Amino acid sequence: MSDRTKGGKGQSRRTILKGAAGVAAYAAYARPAFAQAAKEAPDLAKLAADGKLPKLADRVSASPLVIKVDKIGRYGGQIRRGLRGSADHNGILRMVGNQGLVRWNLAFTEVLPNVAEKWEVNADSTEFTFHLRKGMKWSDGKPFTADDVVFCVEDCAKNTDLYKSAPSPLVIGGKVGAATKVDETTVKFTFASPYALFLEQMATPLGQHPTLFPKHYASQFHPKYNDKVADLVKAANMSDWPTLFRAKLGDIEIPSRWSNPEKPTIDPWVIKEPYTGGATRVTMERNPYFWQVDQEGNQLPYVDRLAFNISQDVESLMLDAISGRLDIQERHLDTLQNKPTLSQNMQKGGYRLIELVNSSAQQMQIYLNMTHKDPKLREILGNKEFRQALSLGIDRKEIIDIVYLGQSEPYQTGPRPGHPWYHEKLARQFTEHDSKKAAAMLDKIGLDKKDAQGFRLRPDGQKLFFAIDVIPTLYPDHVDTLELVKRHWAEIGVDIKVNTIERALYYTRGDNNDHDAAVWPGPGGLDPMLDPRDFFAQHPQGSRYAVPWTLWYVSNGKDGQEPPESQKQRMKLFDEARATADMDKRGKAMKALFDLTADAFETIGVCLGVNAFGICKNNLQNVPTKYPNAWSWPNPGPALPQQFFFST
Amino acid sequence: MLRFIIVRLLWMIPSLVVISFLSFVLIQLPPGDYVTTYIATLAASNEVVDQNTAAELRQRFGLDQPMIVQYWKWISGIVLRGDFGLSFEWQQPVSGLIWERMALTLVLTFSTLLATWGIALPIGVFSAVKKYSIADYIVTTISFLGLAIPSFLLALVLMYFAAVELGQEVGGLFSEQYLNAPWSLGKVVDLLHHLWIPVIILAVSGTASLIRVMRANMMDELNKPYVTTARAKGLSEFHLLMKYPVRIALNPFISTIAWLLPNLVSGSIIVAIVMSLPTAGPLLLQSLMAQDMYLAGAFVLLICALTLVGSLISDILLALADPRIRLE
Repeated sequence: MSDRTKGGKGQSRRTILKGAAGVAAYAAYARPAFAQAAKEAPDLAKLAADGKLPKLADRVSASPLVIKVDKIGRYGGQIRRGLRGSADHNGILRMVGNQGLVRWNLAFTEVLPNVAEKWEVNADSTEFTFHLRKGMKWSDGKPFTADDVVFCVEDCAKNTDLYKSAPSPLVIGGKVGAATKVDETTVKFTFASPYALFLEQMATPLGQHPTLFPKHYASQFHPKYNDKVADLVKAANMSDWPTLFRAKLGDIEIPSRWSNPEKPTIDPWVIKEPYTGGATRVTMERNPYFWQVDQEGNQLPYVDRLAFNISQDVESLMLDAISGRLDIQERHLDTLQNKPTLSQNMQKGGYRLIELVNSSAQQMQIYLNMTHKDPKLREILGNKEFRQALSLGIDRKEIIDIVYLGQSEPYQTGPRPGHPWYHEKLARQFTEHDSKKAAAMLDKIGLDKKDAQGFRLRPDGQKLFFAIDVIPTLYPDHVDTLELVKRHWAEIGVDIKVNTIERALYYTRGDNNDHDAAVWPGPGGLDPMLDPRDFFAQHPQGSRYAVPWTLWYVSNGKDGQEPPESQKQRMKLFDEARATADMDKRGKAMKALFDLTADAFETIGVCLGVNAFGICKNNLQNVPTKYPNAWSWPNPGPALPQQFFFST
Repeated sequence: MLRFIIVRLLWMIPSLVVISFLSFVLIQLPPGDYVTTYIATLAASNEVVDQNTAAELRQRFGLDQPMIVQYWKWISGIVLRGDFGLSFEWQQPVSGLIWERMALTLVLTFSTLLATWGIALPIGVFSAVKKYSIADYIVTTISFLGLAIPSFLLALVLMYFAAVELGQEVGGLFSEQYLNAPWSLGKVVDLLHHLWIPVIILAVSGTASLIRVMRANMMDELNKPYVTTARAKGLSEFHLLMKYPVRIALNPFISTIAWLLPNLVSGSIIVAIVMSLPTAGPLLLQSLMAQDMYLAGAFVLLICALTLVGSLISDILLALADPRIRLE
C-alpha cells in the first residue's frame, strides 16, 4: 500500500531524485504478529528482562512506523560526528531532531506519515485531521497523545509571553491556526484561510512545534498549569517564566534544546552529555521508547550512541575526517576546496564520499538593489535593460571552468533542470556572453558617455560605480567569481567594487537597505514553494534586490514601499498557489509567477548550484549514496539515521 | 605598605566601573547585535530563522533598547545581586560558564609558565655568561627560530603529524573515557599525558623572547662594579651569579606579572582553538563573535580585574625583590 492513498492528499510533485540510489523508506500497517516478532537491542532486552524497563511491546506503539530498510541491521556501535563550538545546534537537529507530524521522502518529492500515521484534509485545505499512533510514548515512557499536540500549539506557540508572534508555519493570512483534540489520538488543525502548503511545512524543521513539548513535563514550567512557577523561576535565578521554559525545553533552533537531559523527546536518540557553553563533546543514547521498527520488527535505532565532538576550528574537523574519526559528516566539510584533500585520503580514513544534491538554483546570484536610497543609482539599477546588459557581459564559461572546476552550467534562476516546474526562459535567458551587444544596450539607455579610462558615466556626469557586498569567510568562491565578473564588466565599461565584509555587517547593511548590491547562493532549485525569495520580493533577509518591497508584502502593506504591479501580481499568485492543494492548479499558478519573474529580470545569476558532498565510513550501512542538501530537507535526517548501522 | 595596598584596592572600584562601561560600548561597536549574528550563522549553513523569531529574540533580550539602558540592566545585576546574567546563546548563567573553564585554564597557563621560565632563565643566564661563544650562537639561533614560528602553525603541523603519521588522538586535554568523568587519579594522569603538547607549543615562542630579555639584562649586570667586587672577595662564580645579577635581572619578569593574569583568559586563544582545548580563550572569542553581550562583557571585566590585581602583585613583589624600589 502506498503512502499516498493512505496519507490522504498525495503530495507527489517532483521527480528530480527518482534515480537516486539508496533506501526507499515506506510505512505500512503493523502486522498483527508484530508484538511477538519484535526484537530490540541486547542492552534494552537485558533491562527489560531484569524488570528495569517495560517489555518492548509495551514501549513501542501498537502501530509503529515501519521503515523498509535496505539491509536489516545489527545493533551496536557509535556514530561520530563533529560540531563547531558556537551556534551549531542545528548540526544535532539535522541528525536526530526532525520528528514532526509528517516527514519527507528520500527524493524530497512527497510527504510521508511520521508521528501521524494518516491524515485527512478537507476540500478547501482549511482543516487537517491527524491520526497519531496508538500507544506511542515519550522517551521517559509517558504516553504521547493528542493532548501533547494541543498543548504545544495552544498553550505554547500561541502564548504571547512565550512567543511575541506565533511561529510562522502555523500562520496563514495573518492568523494562527487552531489545534483541537478529537480523541486521544486524533487532533485537528483549523485555519482561517486555505493552507495547502501546511503538510509540506510540517515536514520541514520549522514545522516541528506540534511535537516539540511534552505536556506532562513542560506544564510544570507553564503558569497555566503551575501557579507556583514563580518559585521555580526564582530558584533558577531567571528573570521570568518564558526564560525558564526556554532554558529547560529549548525551541526548535536554539542550543538549549539540547542542554537538558531530563527533557522527554520522541527522537531516536536522547541527550546524555548536553550541548552547553563549556561542552567539548555532546553524546546521545538510544531512546528505549522509539516508535519506529524495520520491516522485520526490529526496534530502531540500530546504533547505540551518537557522539559529537566539538571543534572550534573547521581545520581540526578536516583532520578528524581524514584520520577516520568521523563516521558521517557533510556539515562544515562540504566546500569545494576540501574535496581534493578528502578524496585523496579516502583509503587512509576508511571512508567513501556521498553526493549531496544542491537544492539551490544558483551558485551565486547577484542582487542589484532596485530600491537604492540614491534616486540616480536607483533609476539605473532598476532599469531592466541595464541588468540584461550586465548579464550578457558575464563570461560564464570562464567562471565555471576556473572557479567551479567545470562542474556547472550557465543559469539564471528557477527550479533545477528535471524539476516538473523547470522554466526554460527563467533559467537560461541572457546567459550567453556577448559584450558587443551588452555595450550597445548600455549606449542605448543613455549610458554612452565615458571617462578617460573608458568607464561609463551616469547621466548626471558622475562615474557609474557600485559595490557588491560579499562575505569572504562564508563563500570564498563568490569573491573569486566576483573578481572575474569585475573584469568582464570592465570590458563593457562598468566599474564595480568587490566589497568583502563581515557577515553581521552584510546583514545590517541589507536590513537598512544601505547596500548597492549583494551576492548569495540563489535558493528555490528543489523547493520553489518553500523558498521563493528569488522569484518575488518575499524574504526580508533574503530578497536583497528589494528589501522594502518584502517588508510591504510581509506586513500586508503597513511597512516598506509599495512594489510595482508585476510584483504585486506575483505576491497574489504565490498566496494562491500556497492555498491550492491540487498540484496541477498550483503548478499553473507558479508557471504564471515564473513568467512574470522572467519578464521582470530582477536578479542576475551566474551558474547552476554545484552539488556538495559528504563523507561516510565504509562500514556504515544503509546510507543513501545520494540525497538532497537543503534546510527544508535537513540532511541527513530525512535519510533516517536511525536505520544506519555498522557492518563490522 | 598596608596603607598603599588599601589605597590601591579602593582605586580599583572606580577603575572597574569605567572599564566595564568602556568594554560594554566596545563590544557593541561592531555592526549588528546578537540576533544579527545568530541569523547570519544559521544562514551560513543555508538554514533559515523563522522571521517571527528574529524580532522576538531582539525584544526578549532587550536589544531593542538604548545601549545605556542595556548597560544599566547588566551592571546593576552584577553590583546589586552578583548576577552576571544569562548568556543569550546558551540560556545559561554566565558565571557558571566562566568558572567551568577557568580551572583548566589555570592548569595550562601555570604549566606553560613553569616550562617557559624553567627553560628560558637558565639558558638566558648561560648565554649571557658565555656570550659570543659557539654555544651562545646555537642557543640564540634556536630561540630566534622559536620566536619566528607562529604557535598556531606549530600546533597544526604537530597535529597533522600526530594524526596522519602516528594515528594518534590529538586535540583536547583528555582521552574520550575521561572527558566528562569526575576527577580521579586516572583523570589527572590522563591530563598530564595530554598537557605536554600544548605546553610545549605555547612555551616555544614564550621561551625565545624570555631568553633574549634575560640575556640582555644579565649582560648589563655582569659588568657592574659590584660583580667585580664580589668576585674579588672570592665568592664562588655560581653563588655570585645567583645572589646578585640574576636577582636584578629578574625585575622585568616580576613586573610582567600584571600581564600574566589576564593572559590566563585571553592568552593562547588561537592555539586553544586549533587544538580544541577546553580553556577559557575559545569561549571568550566565541562570545565576542556571537556578540553574546553578557558573556563577553563578563570575560572582559574579568580580564580587566585580573590586570589590576596583577599589577598590584607585581608592585608588591618588586618592592620585596629589589631594595632599590620604594613605594613613596
